[in-house]
Amino acid sequence: MAEVDSSKPPPTLSEQYLLKEKEEKLDMGTKPAEELEVKDPANATSEEVATEENPVVANESSGDPSDEATSNAGESVAESTQAAAEENSETAEQDDSGDKEVEETPEIKIETAPADFRFPTTNQTRHCFTRYIEYHRCVAAKGEGAPECDKFAKYYRALCPGEWVDRWNEQRENGTFPGPL
Amino acid sequence: MIVLEWRFLTIAPCDAAEPWQLGSQDAATPMMQGIIDLHHDIFFFLILILVFVSRILVRALWHFHYKKNPIPQRIVHGTTIEILRTIFPSIIPMFIAIPSFALLYSMDEVVVDPAITIKAIGHQWYRTYEYSDYNSSDEQSLTFDSYTIPEDDPELGQSRLLEVDNRVVVPAKTHLRIIVTPADVPHSWAVPSSGVKCDAVPGRLNQTSISVQREGVYYGQCSEICGTNHAFTPIVVEAVSRKDYGSRVSNQLIPQTNQTGEA
Repeated sequence: MAEVDSSKPPPTLSEQYLLKEKEEKLDMGTKPAEELEVKDPANATSEEVATEENPVVANESSGDPSDEATSNAGESVAESTQAAAEENSETAEQDDSGDKEVEETPEIKIETAPADFRFPTTNQTRHCFTRYIEYHRCVAAKGEGAPECDKFAKYYRALCPGEWVDRWNEQRENGTFPGPL
Repeated sequence: MIVLEWRFLTIAPCDAAEPWQLGSQDAATPMMQGIIDLHHDIFFFLILILVFVSRILVRALWHFHYKKNPIPQRIVHGTTIEILRTIFPSIIPMFIAIPSFALLYSMDEVVVDPAITIKAIGHQWYRTYEYSDYNSSDEQSLTFDSYTIPEDDPELGQSRLLEVDNRVVVPAKTHLRIIVTPADVPHSWAVPSSGVKCDAVPGRLNQTSISVQREGVYYGQCSEICGTNHAFTPIVVEAVSRKDYGSRVSNQLIPQTNQTGEA
């Protein structure tokens, strides 16, 4: 891996340029979202405490969705939120119930890999592969855990089947990955 | 009489095929609405042509019957009518093709960024669904298998060989990207009321986008011969409101994150 990293910079001026351009473009769009994500973990701890009381109710609603699906789902969700709100107001201050509603929305932030004009067709195989490579090149360039690379990780996880990612990770570890990393 | 009862008095689930159904299922997406509209538009002209052609045919049979008209006129050429009946039928397909291609390419096109990606992975003989938008690592993901409910097992009101144990839950009125792929042999992911039929080809990711317009439960079946249990790999899509989708996903995700955190 170290060899790959060291051999990376010299031949790839154009590649580096490409990478940068994309990041600048995408940063504009994703920055507020990242800020939201950063906010989440801080609040998430309090939310986890609140939701740990839920699982009994929550599992009931998710456990047998096929049986009494749509009608009961709404009811049980309403019950669970009510119950949680009651528990919160009992245990803590009134602010918590308000906080929970605010937290609930970012927790399941509905967002995925955007449509990419490089891959406008039905066949998205290369889209997934390219995002995977982009992530690992980004990590190679910026270092492990660079926040700029998170969005590529999100994209390839959204697009690639888990089985493929596992196989590619294995291949990278063995040094037999068939792509330009 | 029994047939009539079947036809008119069945209490079929809203979005599943019903006995003796002739038309399409009710549309749940704009695409399916477009398909139904195109079908009806074409059918209108189709019936006009059918009536016109059968009138000519019957009229010819009638007037040139050997008893009625033993010595027919020996007309073998009619330039005007020959030109007309060549040009006109060749224009008709063009007029059918214009809206048809417009619809076809608009189905293919991804106009807006999708909000959710769902991976439908076909297996022999079940389906795996992955919701990976909310992952923070490669290991963790919201994945579940969807098996058919066996023939002798369905409860009252469930459709035979159409129900599954775990439905795909999607939010209504949201742009969805469905990535279809199999893990073994070719499968197909088809939901008629959504206007989706996407083949799953090994080693390839096919994308199809839908936007379900109303909440409900939609049924589909495998549409590519995938082995002996091809008939036993149904698809059930359950469209819920965005809020319910959020709570479903977070309810399934939070136990997972706790598990991975402990392990």
